[in-house]
Amino acid sequence: MEDSASPRMRMPLDTYRIAQVILGILFVVFVSWRLFEVLKSGVYGPDTWLRFAISGLIVGAVYAVIAIGYTLVYGILFMINFAHGEVMMMGAFSGYFVFEALKTWVVDPSNNLNFLNAHPILSIILAFLAGMTVSTVAGIYLERIAYRPLRNAPRLVPLISAIGASIFLQNAAQLIFSPQRRNYTNPSILERGNGWTVLVNNSKVIITYTGVFTFVLSILLLIGLFILVQRTRFGRAMRAVAENKQTAALMGINVDGVISATFAISGTLAGAAGVMWGIHNGIIYHFIGFIPGIKAFTAAVLGGIGNIPGAMLGGMFLGIIESIGPAALGIDFQLKDVIAFSILVLVLIFRPSGLLGEVLTEEKI
Amino acid sequence: MNQSLRNGLRAGTIFSIVIIFLVMIGFLLTISELIHDMLGGVFVPGEGSIPGLLIVLTLLGLWGGAMGAKRQEPDTWKRAILGGFTSGLLCGFIVATFAVIMGIINEKGIDLRPYLTQMSSTAIDFMLLGQGTLLGALLNLGLLALTGAIGGILARGLGRGSWRVSFAQRRENAGHSISSLPVFKQVRNNRYAQYLPYALVLMVTLLMPLYLGQYWNFTLGTVGIYVLMGLGLNIVVGMAGLLDLGYVAFFAVGAYTMGLMTSPQPLGIMWNFWIILPMAVLFAALTGFLLGIPVLRLRGDYLAIVTLGFGEIIRVLLKSDALTQFTGGPQGVRDISGPILFGRPFSNERDFMYLIILGIMLVIFVTIRLQNSRVGRTWIAMREDETVARAMGIDTYRSKLLAFAIGAAFAGLGGLLFASRNQYTGPEDHNLLVSINVLCLVIVGGMGSIPGVIVGAFALKGLPEILRQISDYRILAFGALLVVMMILRPEGLWPSKRRSLEVRHFEEESPPQTVSQESTSVAVASGSSTSIDAPPSTDISQKGRGIE
Repeated sequence: MEDSASPRMRMPLDTYRIAQVILGILFVVFVSWRLFEVLKSGVYGPDTWLRFAISGLIVGAVYAVIAIGYTLVYGILFMINFAHGEVMMMGAFSGYFVFEALKTWVVDPSNNLNFLNAHPILSIILAFLAGMTVSTVAGIYLERIAYRPLRNAPRLVPLISAIGASIFLQNAAQLIFSPQRRNYTNPSILERGNGWTVLVNNSKVIITYTGVFTFVLSILLLIGLFILVQRTRFGRAMRAVAENKQTAALMGINVDGVISATFAISGTLAGAAGVMWGIHNGIIYHFIGFIPGIKAFTAAVLGGIGNIPGAMLGGMFLGIIESIGPAALGIDFQLKDVIAFSILVLVLIFRPSGLLGEVLTEEKI
Repeated sequence: MNQSLRNGLRAGTIFSIVIIFLVMIGFLLTISELIHDMLGGVFVPGEGSIPGLLIVLTLLGLWGGAMGAKRQEPDTWKRAILGGFTSGLLCGFIVATFAVIMGIINEKGIDLRPYLTQMSSTAIDFMLLGQGTLLGALLNLGLLALTGAIGGILARGLGRGSWRVSFAQRRENAGHSISSLPVFKQVRNNRYAQYLPYALVLMVTLLMPLYLGQYWNFTLGTVGIYVLMGLGLNIVVGMAGLLDLGYVAFFAVGAYTMGLMTSPQPLGIMWNFWIILPMAVLFAALTGFLLGIPVLRLRGDYLAIVTLGFGEIIRVLLKSDALTQFTGGPQGVRDISGPILFGRPFSNERDFMYLIILGIMLVIFVTIRLQNSRVGRTWIAMREDETVARAMGIDTYRSKLLAFAIGAAFAGLGGLLFASRNQYTGPEDHNLLVSINVLCLVIVGGMGSIPGVIVGAFALKGLPEILRQISDYRILAFGALLVVMMILRPEGLWPSKRRSLEVRHFEEESPPQTVSQESTSVAVASGSSTSIDAPPSTDISQKGRGIE
């Protein structure tokens, strides 16, 4: 990636510039044409748009939580933690097993009441604790086994190692848990599909409890993380390491420890995101980490990688675009993923530093 | 003392986790059957073979013990045995605890399979060696502790003996000593002799398909297609250093061009294979070029993700209902008509095998010519340091585009052969796994090395075909292999000369070279047993260095 000034100086007719302009024109024309068509036809009323926006916002919040993990690690090691999605998947499975275990534990045989419904809040807390613990441990050991030996290797090397770790974890989950899709059992207060009803344009829009729960929890996690990074001693150490490892080490910061802790934090967030994903979407299997992982990475790039508020914003933004996009462009809903990837490509072409990212030095990008 | 305890505990923990993991994925059961099968016994498939399990556990225990008995100063027998025994004991204890838990659950009649698929009742019985919960767990414990201690002894006795040093030395000198025999010198001085191994390989490759049946021709044909793709990706990743995770996109372009243009189904164009062949290759190259234009300005990691995204986009697009009338949708393209040469249709696998071999030879030729050309040197310079390459006046963007397009063309060739041979192509033929397989074989074989790619393809695509029983664990092994290769041998199994020199250089910079000094001093001290080999071998190695 070059800074934008040099191609202009070098050649008047730069292939890249031309491609950029052509792509930009094509993109704008295509989007406005489709949008115009859809709006003119009036297939979707305001209630439908609201529905899309709400679901986008919820998914976006989860993306934001996962994206933080990418951004934190990228900020410190300048590498894409490819296996981050798999760490999230492990969190989702841990939460699932806690719920399953609590479901079979009947506390009140007379009403046939199990622990899950007798103490729903405690169950949820336990599930999150389990998910976050497992993911934290996974994050720490991932770094120790797959990345730490390669700290000073050329940049392609840890990336390949990360891809390997991702494949390994995914397939290990497939072999241990079987590729079958499982239904996440929620406590009855968080039954999927239940929620508050809002009347818009004479039709009901349901704001689900799981959605609100997921959204609120995500925001709380993001705020917590922001405070951790900006206001605590540890956060300062982390930022110092991100700035310059050698200098940080000279200042008496345990660089390895900080890197380990960064992976732990990103693992914790991924674990929470995994459990939320399970609670909200209801279906988990070994592959769930992959696509959200890539999308969260897209979100991190969208907001400016290495930038924490950027990742939050990027996540929300991506969630909404992805949810509204297929409808707005009037295309097949199967092509949701295509939209997310296209956004990634477009951002990288037109504004590689992301929405909030400043222009980084050559060493960092 | 403390140190050896700590070593033992660490190795024990690691190995217990490994063993439990292997049990949970059902690998121990499968491998025990495989071993039993190899030794020629009779067993009930699906229930595992206890002798096989004993062998595997013994080997794992020995390894764990050897790990626990890591070298330390002073290196005494007592410490080695203590380390090995601790390792085995801890490992056995954890495994036994796990076994007891599983056994109790099993005895209570709870079916674990909905949660952990592999933990069926038979699998748990198998893990307990068919002896009931308590006795089985104790046997596990005893076996692992015992083998751990033996492993420690072996590590001390064999691992650090003088034979190892002399073996390493002999291995190092083997190349020199064989090649400096008078016969070889004569052969080597002959001008045409350097072509001899190539001619041999060529002859074997050309004759081999005649003597192979349908099945093996098919399997080796698949390997050959992967070699083709690997050679293409080798240019992109190995030479130009661009990590492309969506390589399957070009494979898909080749396959679908061939499929759509020669099949009656969605489009109804039934052109001749030989017309489509160059068209599909060119079209794949063009796709590579067009995809390259926007993304090749990006730095490595971004490029990886973007190409990954592209690979997925292509698959999703091929699969989507919206494009069914153009691409056949999720059903794919059927009845692809194969090539016809001199009025003879290619009907069996052997014909395709020859076509694939021809393709590989062409691609190897192109690659070699490219490698030694200005373009190839540009790529290598770019891979090593992009900034410096740019400072040297290389238009990196243009060379990257070229690498991308050529790599895409090779993948297109692979894809069209694949589609035409299977007479079918569908979106699921072009999933992410193909990209990962190809990337794996390039990396395992050695980035930038042509023989490496071939070795990698045989290792990753051919071996699982031979070891059918454990093919479920193939992808898991790929993942682990990527990590392990990156840590232990980043230059690959059969590295190109330049690459291995680079990696060695990189490694030698950091640690001071104590190892070589140590090994020579041991070789001198170890006296009579090695004296037979040692003096001539050092002599030869010196001579060898002198000649070079």
